Amino acid sequence: MTAPAPLLAVTGLAKAFNGVPALRGVDLDVLPGEVHGLLGANGSGKSTLIKILAGFHDADGGTVTVGGTTVAGPFGARGLRDHGLGFVHQDLGLAGTSTVLEHMALDSHGDAPGRRRVRWKDERARVTELLDRFEIDVDPSATIDTLSPVQRAMVAVVRAVGSQELTSGSATGGQILILDEPTVFLPRHEVGLLFALLGRLRERGDAVLLVSHDLDEILEVTDRITVFRNGRTAGTRTTKGSTRDDLVQLILGARDEHVAKGAATVRSDRPALLSARGLSGARVRDLDLDLHAGEVVGVTGLAGSGFEELPDLLFGARPATAGRIEHGGTVVAKPTPGRSMDAGVVLIPADRKGQGGALGLSVLENVSLPFLNERAGGLHIDWKSLDRRAQDTCDRLNVVPANPHALFGHLSGGNQQKALLGKWMDTNPQVMLLAEPTQGVDIGARREIFALIRSAVAQGMAVLCATSDYEQLVEMADRVVVLDGGRISAEVTGSDITKDVLASAVYAEEAS
Amino acid sequence: MNSTHSEPATKVDPVTPTPAPERKQRKAPAEPERFALIGVWAVLIIAFSLIVPQTFPTAANVSNMLSSQVVLLILAIGLLYPLRAGDYDLSVASTLNLSTVIVAILNVQQGWNIWVTVIVAILASLLVGVINGFVVTVFDINPFIVTLGMGTVVQGLIYLLSNTSTISGIDRALSSAVLTRPFLGIPVGFYYAIVLVGVAWYVFDKTAFGQRLLFVGQSHDVARLNGVNVPALRWRALIISAGFAGLAGVVYAGTTASADPVSGAAFLLPAFAACFLGSTVLRIGRFNPWGTLIAVYFLVTGITGLQLLGAEQYVQQLFYGGALVIAVILSKLVRNRGERKRRATAVEPA
Repeated sequence: MTAPAPLLAVTGLAKAFNGVPALRGVDLDVLPGEVHGLLGANGSGKSTLIKILAGFHDADGGTVTVGGTTVAGPFGARGLRDHGLGFVHQDLGLAGTSTVLEHMALDSHGDAPGRRRVRWKDERARVTELLDRFEIDVDPSATIDTLSPVQRAMVAVVRAVGSQELTSGSATGGQILILDEPTVFLPRHEVGLLFALLGRLRERGDAVLLVSHDLDEILEVTDRITVFRNGRTAGTRTTKGSTRDDLVQLILGARDEHVAKGAATVRSDRPALLSARGLSGARVRDLDLDLHAGEVVGVTGLAGSGFEELPDLLFGARPATAGRIEHGGTVVAKPTPGRSMDAGVVLIPADRKGQGGALGLSVLENVSLPFLNERAGGLHIDWKSLDRRAQDTCDRLNVVPANPHALFGHLSGGNQQKALLGKWMDTNPQVMLLAEPTQGVDIGARREIFALIRSAVAQGMAVLCATSDYEQLVEMADRVVVLDGGRISAEVTGSDITKDVLASAVYAEEAS
Repeated sequence: MNSTHSEPATKVDPVTPTPAPERKQRKAPAEPERFALIGVWAVLIIAFSLIVPQTFPTAANVSNMLSSQVVLLILAIGLLYPLRAGDYDLSVASTLNLSTVIVAILNVQQGWNIWVTVIVAILASLLVGVINGFVVTVFDINPFIVTLGMGTVVQGLIYLLSNTSTISGIDRALSSAVLTRPFLGIPVGFYYAIVLVGVAWYVFDKTAFGQRLLFVGQSHDVARLNGVNVPALRWRALIISAGFAGLAGVVYAGTTASADPVSGAAFLLPAFAACFLGSTVLRIGRFNPWGTLIAVYFLVTGITGLQLLGAEQYVQQLFYGGALVIAVILSKLVRNRGERKRRATAVEPA
């Protein structure tokens, strides 16, 4: 086919944070009437691109062309919205206690002066028409809280469409919609509804850019696919004729990036360092698990299966509703973070910025927190020795910049994670609980982190790693426990751990 | 425990602190903003000394300025503790007033020994802090609201206890304990306050308690996941601020030798202004005691100078209110700029 002019064309877009490039010049074009998939591993630059287009960041270089006209950066706080781009972010941007109608009405008064009266009748007519046109069975007066996850996602998408139509003043299509992982929180069987909606947008001649991690989704719904790797465009493929393997190859690049795991010497002859018996939480149901010295246990499953919750439960960061936790065979009466730390159990949470470290404080202060008792004796902090230790940790773990006085919030994700790992490893832990340890971490740092964890395990530590990143489990885990509906549905060990095996174990319930 | 005390096999082995190799000189980025307020203060002093040379730069005026702010300074230093932990305590001014009134009632009307009344007044103030902390931490309610309500309750109690009248005639022993001039002609109360500033500095910078407070103020989650007992710390901070308010109230009773049921409220805004303005000096973006000290005396310098020039009472409100708002704006601006600068320097070595 003769390619029509792209609605959205990105060329050579580059962006660096703290001197660390996140985008090294990416190219991407989205045609009218196509759903274009954007794939890439964590840290490949997908979200940076979206954030530049949405106006969160300013690009360092490159051009963006919308509908044939090149838009000069910086795009300002509203990003390219005024040029016809609509965004649906992963969290959908909907407020739970407001109604569908209120959300959509918000867009139609956009920049209007505050004194303008909202004509609710007109708004209702417009919203009803919009929902009908896209065959979405949602009452405009329903509050967001009462909608199912997929209804919320569809409302968010239609809202973006409606807002673009208002901007352009026509309802004839030709909009550009950017969806940033809208399916992550959706139950599998409902995703189809959202995809049907995307299909209707395509028929109208809209251009949809769909960012996702899920290969099957992308293969199912898109026309073309662009893959980012390491801040560059690794390639663009037509979906028809592409296979999973092609895409995996593109996403991962060279295959020899694995870290040798090294033989694990699991000390299952001794009592487990950390055990759970009949543990239940918000999602987890009646779970038994043992962590032995010298092993990395992976925990995975679909979003909502309870695997995300397990590190917090084991650490005592959120209360268990039933069951007990044992440290080296002794039952812990009421696990709290403090008690767990005393027993040599540490947690590195997934939410690095909100829970891992205090962004407004220095690296030194952040890494020193667990040592205050030991070094301070409660009365006087020996900042000199803490400073020496922090410097040493930074050097050893290759934290950039290797300056303990830098603000923690100014470090890149990978360096933050390395600093946190260093902090906890210095406490000589016996058990380390990790939640999504390489989320938002660049590939180089990711490999360093794996190496650190493996060598700590070789010295007799036990590690639990809860993640939805199979790649990571393949590289790191000695044993993988798959959760489904809060219970263990499968366990994979040793060389059986491959991405395919994990994927089929995770999706087993869906297939049957 | 782990058997990791053998020779390090890998680079992740925990190290015993060995003398670090001499680092290349790590220059802290020069931040002249840290001293901006001090510069402005100096300009004010020089200007007023030139404009009103007969009254402003005199020993009597300086001594008066230093001693007149002791109550405010003690109150503000106490307020730093919950602020450091990220919590507002809006009940401090009422608590101060409560302490003053209790001293007056017990000493003047009931004839108790002055020192016993002082202890009772401080204990009563601590009780306010205990209740604040209890509601805030046990029910997990925003301290802004809790202390606003408690402050009003306490104010009501003051009216009830004092019968809405001023009580004068407090034992002179208290006044002399506060107003004696031991050194350089400055009342002893000033030196008490300085000692409290020094103690607060030590607590914040050199103790584990102070560091934990700082983390609690930055993020409850981070602190909690690092084994910090967040509710206990917040509770303690609120008790400390109430205790300081009680102490400030006792000093206030000493300076005026009387107690009225309303004047304490006038300390609330200046205390917050001093804390926030103080957070723009020395350690930008952090509530810090020496900065608060500087802010308190910066503010009084401006007010006294303008009053000597003939300005009326209203200048106080203008100055304190304006200072609070400007301080908040300043700290925001300075933080943004610092961030950009550090980003820029971070790029260079890459």
